[in-house]
Amino acid sequence: MEYLQSLLKEIGLEPERARMFNLSAAMAGKFVEAAKEMTEKVTELGPNPLKSKMKDER
Amino acid sequence: MIVAEQKSLEEIKKLVGNAKKVLVAGCGTCVTVCFAGGSREAAIVSAELRMSTKLAGDPKEVADVTVQRQCEWEYLDEIAEQVQGVDVVLSLGCGVGVQAIAEHFPNVWVVPGLNTKFMGLPTEQGVWAERCAACGDCILGLTGGICPIARCSKSLLNGPCGGSLDGHCEINAEVPCGWQLIYDRLKSMGKLEVLMEIQAPKNWRTSRDGGPRKIVREDLRLVSEEK
Repeated sequence: MEYLQSLLKEIGLEPERARMFNLSAAMAGKFVEAAKEMTEKVTELGPNPLKSKMKDER
Repeated sequence: MIVAEQKSLEEIKKLVGNAKKVLVAGCGTCVTVCFAGGSREAAIVSAELRMSTKLAGDPKEVADVTVQRQCEWEYLDEIAEQVQGVDVVLSLGCGVGVQAIAEHFPNVWVVPGLNTKFMGLPTEQGVWAERCAACGDCILGLTGGICPIARCSKSLLNGPCGGSLDGHCEINAEVPCGWQLIYDRLKSMGKLEVLMEIQAPKNWRTSRDGGPRKIVREDLRLVSEEK
């Protein structure tokens, strides 16, 4: 994960866009927590700039 | 194996320059096993280039392909068409691979994506260390199988020098003294008498000092009608 985040940084994207959470299928509460946390994080960061570039090209 | 390391994306982008179509060429041999330029790394570098150039507003068409060995014409023939159709080939092969592409495809612009470091082996997962300096006249038989050319910082033939301290080299306390390693090994094998023979100065003409090297095996060469 650290390597992937370093690649994202090198490319020019925020490394926080990718994270790994260790959960089992029985950990619903933790899953909701992780999903909320990531949703908040990506909302704060805004849309993926690569996607908006793709729209520009269309 | 030949051990290499990837260049930074920044340097790779500079080398690729304003080319629009890029082919990232991986190699399936040495640089695959040292995780620098195999098919996995070629795909990653290719994606990195696509994404970062798109973000910078200068999108490039980047594809990747990996051959078994970049250092042999026969394997390069397999990618002849792909290589001819791009503005630049970014080779993730060692220095030999890059030159093989340049030599085999004279009209193709090729740039290196790796820094070729040395001939060595993995000492643990994620760690590679130099073992052979390709001096061209192997003396491992005199030193218990540990090379003083590659592993002594001064390449001494009659070591150790005064800079050997507690088994380490004076250049860096983390570097083991090559001659200490030789001594320890010969001692454990009961062959310390080997060290009593003083080695004469080495003929370095078999190494790089003699200029570019070449081996010709007449028994293996094809006669003109077989070529």
